[in-house]
Amino acid sequence: MTGVPLLDVSEVSKQFGGLSALDGVNMSLDTGKLHAIIGPNGAGKTTFFNVLTGTLSVSGGRIKFLGDDITDDAVHQISHRGLARTLQIKSVFGNMTVRENLWIAAQSRDGIFSIFKNWKKCIRAQEKADSICEQLGLQALADQPAANLSYGDVALLEIGLALATEPKLLLLDEPICGMGPAETEQTVAKIQEISKHIDIIIIEHDIEVVFKIADLVTVMANGKVLAQGKPQEIAANADVRTAYLGDDDDD
Amino acid sequence: MNVATINRAGTLLFVLFTLTAPWVLPLVVDSFWVDIYSEILIWSLLAASVNLLFGYVGLLSFGQALFFGMGMYGVAVGIAKFDLSFWPAFAFGVALATGMAVIAGALAVRLTWHYFAIITVVFSLIFYFTALSWKPVTGGDDGLPFSVPPIIALGGFELSITNPNVQYFFIVTMVGACYFLMHRVINSPLGRAFVTVRENDTRAALIGLNVYLIRLSAFVLAGFVAGVAGALFAVFGRYASASYMFYHVSGEAVVWAIIGGVGTLFGPIVGTGLLIVLREELSSVWDHYLLLVGVAVIVTVIFAPRGLAGVYNLIVQRFASNSTRKTEED
Repeated sequence: MTGVPLLDVSEVSKQFGGLSALDGVNMSLDTGKLHAIIGPNGAGKTTFFNVLTGTLSVSGGRIKFLGDDITDDAVHQISHRGLARTLQIKSVFGNMTVRENLWIAAQSRDGIFSIFKNWKKCIRAQEKADSICEQLGLQALADQPAANLSYGDVALLEIGLALATEPKLLLLDEPICGMGPAETEQTVAKIQEISKHIDIIIIEHDIEVVFKIADLVTVMANGKVLAQGKPQEIAANADVRTAYLGDDDDD
Repeated sequence: MNVATINRAGTLLFVLFTLTAPWVLPLVVDSFWVDIYSEILIWSLLAASVNLLFGYVGLLSFGQALFFGMGMYGVAVGIAKFDLSFWPAFAFGVALATGMAVIAGALAVRLTWHYFAIITVVFSLIFYFTALSWKPVTGGDDGLPFSVPPIIALGGFELSITNPNVQYFFIVTMVGACYFLMHRVINSPLGRAFVTVRENDTRAALIGLNVYLIRLSAFVLAGFVAGVAGALFAVFGRYASASYMFYHVSGEAVVWAIIGGVGTLFGPIVGTGLLIVLREELSSVWDHYLLLVGVAVIVTVIFAPRGLAGVYNLIVQRFASNSTRKTEED
């Protein structure tokens, strides 16, 4: 072991009034694996992403990313540490072109508080935007306003925005939800490609996809980690079956 | 002809008109229209200030008159009470407005939408009533008149705004400088960050943008621009009055910006110009001309959300694409 884990979550909880969305989550992840989180609706998966990225503050517990405590950091600070995510409800900058969308995400690494430079002359970010367009196959749409894109392309652009910030860890929240079979296949291939260079945690409901691409699967239920292991171990786990299908008393 | 050429020609025409107005306008209309045109240029900065917030970072402020008033009182108090000369008084007014924007902004930009709109109104009302009741300094209802010191006095050479042409070109230079500054900012990385925050603040934070600081920057810049407008208006009218800090004034600027077209640099000038001319022409004939303005706002918001500037851009684009098609056919 190299020592410092990629992500070290200890006893993280999140309460909304009386409701416990996260109830003492512990998780330690190492780098170099494509990691999936599954679980029934309301298990706390998206809430977990929200506390990781600072969108929600924790009610208790600590989060360490590459050894640094990020629990109390603001959203934009966490982004600068190298943690990027996509949202379950896809959202981009609609009235800006695809290239501008990617440009501002890339430019955020170089600083945006400069007022005497023309944004078109920020060459590094421009080139980064172009290369991501190419990587995701969005070149043909580069000059289209993002609001004109199809659902699948918006999902790709979301991943592009995250990539443009040059993350060390990428959190994907149901990236293929709502896609047709062809789009799903393409996107899954791209995610696998990206995972060769960047660590990924993916929340996904499509179990088939999860078992196909994940190296490690964590199952969440009722705000807790229920089980963690290789896909085949998870598939055989009795607790997981119960969580998904309910108790089967007749058996 | 493409869009850029047409726009460049339009801008050139506007600049030429502005530079020759003191001689050209009196040929066509009464010479007091030169003063009205100066006034339009000054007020357009207040509309531009609303536009920076609403059109670029998506914050609707009904309190920009506060910063206008600060700029105005800074100049008037500086000259009448502290005996400052021209430039220090002018700088004092603008600094006061900008400083106020830093303080008000630090609190206000934590909020968005109607919460933000309400807090801007509250801020401007607090200082409106302060100015109204603090008679020894502000003159309250009566305002604070003063006589303007010369812009430059070097030995025998003196440049003073008592000369109408000096006054006109002083205003044009200052207004022009503000538009140049806004143009630079809007095309800078910060300007793109403004638009990014307007489009989707949640997403903007997730890609690492400090949304709070970006909104605050826009707010301070808007306060600065409104402050310059107020300082100019004090010099132009030779007095300051609390009535210019009332939220009616802020509201008028919002109307000018919306009718002219938010999110474009030129829109606020067009909107301000049109509505001030309308006011000059109609208010003496018809007491309820504001009804017409109200209808115009509703029509604009429903049918031309990008305002007159948006309509203009659409026409130019149609025209440009038509002429390209023709050249291709030829």
